[in-house]
Amino acid sequence: MDLRVDALSHRYGNLEVLSDISLDIPAGQVVSIIGPSGCGKSTLLRFIGGLERPSEGQIIQRGQPPEGSLNPLTYVFQDFALLPWRTVAGNIALVLEDHGLGSARQDEIITNVLARTKLSEFRDALPKQLSGGMKQRVAIARALAVNPAVMLMDEPLSALDSQTRELLMDDLIDLWARERFTAVYVTHNLAEAVRLGHQIVVLSRRPGKIREIITIETPLDARRRSDPELASIEERLWSVMRDEAQAADLELVDG
Amino acid sequence: MADTTHHSLGAQTERTAAGADKPHSAGEANTTVRYRGGGFRTHSIFWVGPVVFVVLIAVWEWGTQTGFISNLTLPKPSDVLGTFGELWRTGTLFEHLIPSLTRFAVGSAMGCLAGVIIGVMIGLFSHVRAGLVPVVAAIFPIPKIALLPLFIIWFGIGEGSKYALIALGTFTPMVVATYGAVDNVDRTLIRMGQSFSLSWASIVRKIVLPGAMPGIFSGLRVSLAIGIILLVAAEMLGARRGIGAYILEAGSLYDLERLFAGVIILSALGVVVNFVLGLIEDRVLRWRS
Repeated sequence: MDLRVDALSHRYGNLEVLSDISLDIPAGQVVSIIGPSGCGKSTLLRFIGGLERPSEGQIIQRGQPPEGSLNPLTYVFQDFALLPWRTVAGNIALVLEDHGLGSARQDEIITNVLARTKLSEFRDALPKQLSGGMKQRVAIARALAVNPAVMLMDEPLSALDSQTRELLMDDLIDLWARERFTAVYVTHNLAEAVRLGHQIVVLSRRPGKIREIITIETPLDARRRSDPELASIEERLWSVMRDEAQAADLELVDG
Repeated sequence: MADTTHHSLGAQTERTAAGADKPHSAGEANTTVRYRGGGFRTHSIFWVGPVVFVVLIAVWEWGTQTGFISNLTLPKPSDVLGTFGELWRTGTLFEHLIPSLTRFAVGSAMGCLAGVIIGVMIGLFSHVRAGLVPVVAAIFPIPKIALLPLFIIWFGIGEGSKYALIALGTFTPMVVATYGAVDNVDRTLIRMGQSFSLSWASIVRKIVLPGAMPGIFSGLRVSLAIGIILLVAAEMLGARRGIGAYILEAGSLYDLERLFAGVIILSALGVVVNFVLGLIEDRVLRWRS
């Protein structure tokens, strides 16, 4: 299933936040969206998954979601959004319970996704017992449990320290190599965008417009941290973004 | 490593040499940095509370024994204890305690349950909020005791009016605490629920209600304390049995020992209610960090 963002614009009152965004999200690819803070990239992600309604334009779904997909468009949030009163298994069960799968099938799915995210031994832990990285793994396991067609990841690593971020990035790449999931990955971190994106969409500062779309041919699992090609792409992206980021930084926050 | 040791030794020698010039001076360089952190953190010291109680009672007993405190103003703690023994032996204790506990349990259960239900509805539905918040704000500041005569007309002189008084008194703070708690449930969790297409009922039952629990519990603490106050008020105004009636009777006979015994039972009731609530809270809110 492919997604297409079609001529999408959005205004809050008189304030234009996104302007004429058109974008293809082909199946099996990770599309990174980067931009300076306040450029509306997270808002764009909320439109893509139907959590908010744009003023103009639409999101088009091409083809059917795969058989057995319980929630085709599934988010991974920056702040994990785990229920603190449920265990790891309980948090995953939460998103399955409404589908009437039967407890055996549900249990099977939970065991399976926990194994895929290397969380099996933390099944009965409460979120407060887990580190930030582990919490985000649980959130990713929860997303995998509903067998999504597209994962919508909203700065999933931004709340983590840099070492955990590296580890989790490697895990995400492993996961993609195994499962070839489709994802939209919103971040303000250039290195993440370059490591994880097949396409990198650069948004300008508000009102967010597409400045540039860069395609990286190197397969995700062949990309190394020290790869000079990636470094030069990152450098180029930074030169595009630098002025935007600086200008965005100097803007007054609107009251 | 050896190098570092050597270096620090060297420094120490220098310092000793400098110190030799000015004996007894604290030295110029070496003052320890004074600790000034800690904030206003409180920590629990479990023994201080009981000790304060024991000391207060001991001073009181000593004062009344020696006549330093006139026995017209305060009874002897030992006499109050004697009154307790008598209450226990004659069975009068339960004759008064059971009706009081029943009134408290029935009245506050009705009030708190209704309060939680209405509070959740105010939290969830804009229309209910718009309609009921002003009503609750209007009822809240009325001293409920003032309504007892009205309740006696409506529900009779028996148990009904007492239940109604306690129920109304616990209801309003419970409503306010509950809708505040619902408002405070983490919105990102609710959005998460919607992003997984959970049904409305699932979001309410599995996200909103558990998320509101901490606030509901703090509301319960306030409401139940108000419940005890209203229990006594109701019993003073129209009951033959009950702790309130017992205290009123002792007061009108100027029987200070019995009056104090009654007051101590109430205070103990408050402590027990709080303790039990604490135990339940620890179990239900185990997930809190």
